[in-house]
Amino acid sequence: MTLIDRDNPQKLYLQLYEILRGKIESGDWAVDTQIPTEEDLCKTYEVSKATVRIAVSELARQGYLRRQQGKGTFVCKRIIPEGLSMVTSFKELMLEAGVNFSTEVLARTVIMPIDDLHIKLDITEDKHIIYIKRLRLIDNEPILLQETYMPHHICPLPLEEDLENNSLLEILEKKCGVKITSVQDYIGIAYLNEEEGRLLGLPEGAAALLVEQIFYSGKSKIKYTRSIKRPDRFKLFIELERKQ
Amino acid sequence: MAGGKTVKDLMVDVFEFPHIPYWFSIRQAMRIIKKSVLESAKCIRPIVILVFDEKYNLVGTLTHINILKGIEPKFLKHTTKAQVPEYSQEGLSVIWDSLFDKESAALAEKPVSEVMVPAKLFVEQDDPVTKAAYLMLHNDAILLPVLENKKKLIGVVRMIEVFDEVSNAILNE
Repeated sequence: MTLIDRDNPQKLYLQLYEILRGKIESGDWAVDTQIPTEEDLCKTYEVSKATVRIAVSELARQGYLRRQQGKGTFVCKRIIPEGLSMVTSFKELMLEAGVNFSTEVLARTVIMPIDDLHIKLDITEDKHIIYIKRLRLIDNEPILLQETYMPHHICPLPLEEDLENNSLLEILEKKCGVKITSVQDYIGIAYLNEEEGRLLGLPEGAAALLVEQIFYSGKSKIKYTRSIKRPDRFKLFIELERKQ
Repeated sequence: MAGGKTVKDLMVDVFEFPHIPYWFSIRQAMRIIKKSVLESAKCIRPIVILVFDEKYNLVGTLTHINILKGIEPKFLKHTTKAQVPEYSQEGLSVIWDSLFDKESAALAEKPVSEVMVPAKLFVEQDDPVTKAAYLMLHNDAILLPVLENKKKLIGVVRMIEVFDEVSNAILNE
């Protein structure tokens, strides 16, 4: 068992936070099980109640634990924190979070620009677009519905590659030689239509997190993605650093 | 036919034609024809949109004629199921004009799958041109999709190229 190292300059509550997080991520503390009481944690790790409270609060804030009034503290289904300025694929994000994820490709075909797609992708209206619709699942539970649009002439390979096991970003970068240099995220709320609700297991009209992303390679727009995420399974994480 | 040309020698790349999925509306298809054919420098003929399913299989073709038929009010269509008195086609066309805004606009929201011509005939890239000509003539088709290994759509062979090739064979005889 990992214990608190009092010679370590890191603050005690941070050490305890990492130990407890490790227990959750390794499955040592399974989802929906009650964690030991505050007193038990104090005794086990030889720390004060204040240290335990801060560590547990931080885990609850990050979606690892939930507190139930009068019953105790329980391990949650993981909520995936997502950096705002990430250039990270869903696969990488899931691997970092250590969860069992899968992808269902619902559609992969070619369309012409409709609505304002030609503006979003900065192409003329006679250019073909690859359209990919994927449902992302964790432990076989749908959490994210994603529609991706990319100009066919930039990289036609996504029409043929295995998208259930490979990341689209990897295909773009490794096989088409298109390096993604920046991403613009637009975050809002979407109200689910009948089909979106059915796919995500939510009622029609329910609110969900909407993330629209435009991926750039230099100044060229490479891909536009519209993701609808279950609000109970995602958290946005912003880290701000003061510049000296 | 002398010369031994195959479909592959005549076919046009599939990406010369607009692509849409079967769930797009007639209205969307109309705009696509306008933007990617009529107003485009390319303007390839015949005006045809290729219609695909979720797995990028060709399921049909759509011409401007199919689209116009799709937004024609129901009562203007010929009936074969009942005996009806003779009517004036010119008179009916005037009625369509008066109902155009309401009824045709509503019909334009239908998916293209309801008005497209289903893709049933295909040729292989190594098939002789005469096979394409035969299939076109006997099925009233203006083009045929060309497959590679009976699976992958790689191009389209058009009546005009088939005609040109057959004409060459006759004229040079």
